[in-house]
Amino acid sequence: MGMDDGIAVRPDPGDAGDGADGAAPAETSEGTARFRRAASLFVRWRDGDTLAMDDLVRLMTPVLWHVVRAYDLPRALAEDVVQTTWLALVRKHETIKEPAAVSGWLTVTARREAWRTVKAARRADPTEDEHLEPRLPAQRSAEHEADEADTARILWDAVHQLSERCRRLLRVIAFDDRPDYGRIARDTGMPVGSIGPTRGRCLAKLRAVLHQMGFTPEEVA
Amino acid sequence: MNSDDTRDVDGDVGVDDERLLAALRGVWEQYDPPPAGLTDRMIAAVAVDDVSRDLALLELQTDAERAAVRSDRERLTLQFSDETTSVLLHVSVTESGLRRVDGWSDPAVLAARLAQDEDEKEWTAELGEQGRFAFAGVSPGLARVRLSVQHPDGPRGFVTPQFQV
Repeated sequence: MGMDDGIAVRPDPGDAGDGADGAAPAETSEGTARFRRAASLFVRWRDGDTLAMDDLVRLMTPVLWHVVRAYDLPRALAEDVVQTTWLALVRKHETIKEPAAVSGWLTVTARREAWRTVKAARRADPTEDEHLEPRLPAQRSAEHEADEADTARILWDAVHQLSERCRRLLRVIAFDDRPDYGRIARDTGMPVGSIGPTRGRCLAKLRAVLHQMGFTPEEVA
Repeated sequence: MNSDDTRDVDGDVGVDDERLLAALRGVWEQYDPPPAGLTDRMIAAVAVDDVSRDLALLELQTDAERAAVRSDRERLTLQFSDETTSVLLHVSVTESGLRRVDGWSDPAVLAARLAQDEDEKEWTAELGEQGRFAFAGVSPGLARVRLSVQHPDGPRGFVTPQFQV
């Protein structure tokens, strides 16, 4: 079943069960740690610890913010979408077949709601430009000796030269709590490229843009 | 880490994908962070929506109760409080015969919901400035309000006893 949001990086929430159990034990990435903590909080909440939900909201709200903003929604609308996502969790939690994958359920729900909201907003005002967030000017150092603030700006500028689709995909992936593709590839013996081909293409474009701007990825990452 | 997908367009081995994504994450966190207070507002919204959650019960202040008895049929004022929180509700009758409930809370409200008939019917408050909130188009009947207010240590949830709207 395809995602109705213009990008497809994750299966349906119902079967987004990879990673939390049956996964390699030595995974320490930030995303995987959050994935597991979210699962544990959700299970505690379902078992009657009502305050575990507050901790789950604390843990996942910043992630949902970035996932929703990947769709270029204005900030006030993005906040509405994040709230709709949380209320959907409270009301539909019984339909979540795999509690361990609750962070995946949340990000998929947020993306679907964001996509629905984007389409509705464009129908209402088709002249509204899709680039709703402010662009910051690039500040290129002639010597390419960028300090930390400069490198962030260079990367920001580079990512805004990508297509809307690539920019959205990279932001969703950057904040998604899916265990990393490299490990999945090792676990399954599949080439990494076949797991995230679009991601690979978008990152390649980003590298090409950086080269055009006169930087190497090593200088900004 | 497999290096097959880290070759850039020229075939050079580039920066590892995960490192580049981590750098991008940092850029978005820096340039487009969540709005201030977003997490507290989300905690509050969930608390008032989750009817299975036990919230602290506010007490109806008796002075206000006497005032309510004295007030005319068109307008009713109720005050609820505990040691930390105070909530004032004005109920008025609109031309259509429905009720409007204007509220004010100290500390300021983050989210509020009015429920009737064992939560069968619900109204979500529109939030105003300085702790004000309002429910429009409420039908007459017994109601209670669930609300979450901004305490220094985070959102705190309360529920009022039932009262006649």
